[in-house]
Amino acid sequence: MHPLFAQRERFVLYMAVWAVIAGLLCLLLVVMGAVTWAEAIALIVPMSLVYSFMCLASLYLCRSFPLQETPFLKLIAVVTASSFLSAALWLALGKGIALVLARIDAFPELNSKYDANIPLLLGIGVLLFVLGIVIHYLLLAFDTARGAERRALELQVLAREAELKALRSQIQPHFLFNSLNSISALTASDAQAARAMSLRLADFFRKTLKLGQQQFIPLAEEFELAENFLSIEQIRFGPRLHFEKNIEEGCELILVPSLILQPIMENAVAHGVAHLIEGGTISFSAKKKGSHLLLSVSNPCDRDKPRSKGNGVGLSNIRRRLDALYGTEVSVVIEQSVHFYRVDLVFPVSPPSSQ
Amino acid sequence: MANVDRKYNAVIVDDEPLARQIVREYLSGHSDIYIVAECANGFETVKAVTESMPDILFLDIQMPKLNGFEVLELIEHNLAVVFTTAYDEFAVRAFEVHAADYLLKPFSKQRFDEALQQAKNKLGTTAEKTFDAIVEDSRSLHKPLERILIRDGTKVHIIPAEQIDYIEAQDDYVAVRSAGKSHLKQTTLSKLGNELAGEKFIRIHRSYILNIERLAKIELYAKDSRVAILTDGTRLQVSRTGYAKLKQFL
Repeated sequence: MHPLFAQRERFVLYMAVWAVIAGLLCLLLVVMGAVTWAEAIALIVPMSLVYSFMCLASLYLCRSFPLQETPFLKLIAVVTASSFLSAALWLALGKGIALVLARIDAFPELNSKYDANIPLLLGIGVLLFVLGIVIHYLLLAFDTARGAERRALELQVLAREAELKALRSQIQPHFLFNSLNSISALTASDAQAARAMSLRLADFFRKTLKLGQQQFIPLAEEFELAENFLSIEQIRFGPRLHFEKNIEEGCELILVPSLILQPIMENAVAHGVAHLIEGGTISFSAKKKGSHLLLSVSNPCDRDKPRSKGNGVGLSNIRRRLDALYGTEVSVVIEQSVHFYRVDLVFPVSPPSSQ
Repeated sequence: MANVDRKYNAVIVDDEPLARQIVREYLSGHSDIYIVAECANGFETVKAVTESMPDILFLDIQMPKLNGFEVLELIEHNLAVVFTTAYDEFAVRAFEVHAADYLLKPFSKQRFDEALQQAKNKLGTTAEKTFDAIVEDSRSLHKPLERILIRDGTKVHIIPAEQIDYIEAQDDYVAVRSAGKSHLKQTTLSKLGNELAGEKFIRIHRSYILNIERLAKIELYAKDSRVAILTDGTRLQVSRTGYAKLKQFL
């Protein structure tokens, strides 16, 4: 079915255009003195009505011979043949109408008058059909362009989703290897502790996988995961690692991007506490600031530690992810001195409406 | 081959108690190995190795204060090093500093025993490279130097590059000046000059490398002879070629 029939307004508009064409045709024939007004209307209105549908058929022609893929000469041949054919059919129809009108004595002279104007009507028929082809080719090109645009947009959305997914799941493999080494050590000395650590590790990875599937999770779950992670690291580092969490009342259910704190926690351990002989305390907290949520993670660090390369990767990923999710309403601020490091994340309390 | 009757002294270095524990456990079956020390950071390691001169060092890489490579840089006597780490990205560098073996955590008893045998073999043969050359290798991989490590007996000073004012040649040593203090290190000025970042540290004279951040002004002292005045008022002689180099940065 022609797409024109799918929309009432378009169909009405199309028929209105044809009414104008029919009017002009009548005017032309009358002004030339070929027919009277009554004869013109009686002949041209039914002819135009039929031709308006015949011209729509040129869509299938355009689809069968795509503009880009059809050789130019072939295209010319196809257009010429089809337009002459349809114009000829149209003229035959007109001849029929004229004959009938002459026979029933409504317009006795119409038949001969019609025959005299066949070349003119043939030219107009060909012209109208060619015009139909041209318009259809234009519409098809427009459709193709719009389709390409939509596909590009879809691709963009897909790419962003893939990126977000990649940004979410970035647990350092060293964490796993070091934890397994701790378990390996514990198996000989303290089998219970080894089992407890394997369970905690399994728990952590299971939660990470589950929460990583979701774009947003309640803050309480994010903090629980962070605690889970730090409690495993505590087995590795022993008394050197401490942590404290502080969650303002009413913040527990606020939705935050899943695993947003994980890279910061990893940095706080690997680049902070792990470099201190005496160790230190990692603090993480959440509080509301108007319509925004402030998440802070702080840790002590060693003043003699050389600036490590690649330290910023996790943070720039967080920034990119927050940007992608919330747009401009986010900030990632690093506060640091020689023996202290803090990351503040600020983003809106209400997650953006899901797209 | 390793001598069958030989006894070996070993030092275990890791900042994680459990990681030290498993090395100790694996070593307990080897009656020819004596664990003379266990260390949890780079400072302790330099001290322990200097004092007890072990044959074999089980060395973690990521540690507080000094990493495994920096520890090796500060150790003067020859020993067999077995790195133990969860990071595989240091393997090439470990190979470059002629480590006996490189154990990736977690490792099996079997793999550990292999590494131990490698270490013993290494001690049995004469190293194809002197230890100095090994240290040189480890340094050249470190470019540009972010901090200078200075061993003072069993103590280690760490001077971040940006805190250096200038470095002065003194016979077989160099004196690293930082915040009014002077630290002696056994190296040459040209070696250090090659290791420090070239756009910040300029050899202004046969005897001086200057941190360009500390430069206040340059004064003409005599014909063709200039003197650099530092922010703290110190005056250093500038040679003609030194001045030519300095001019590119001013």
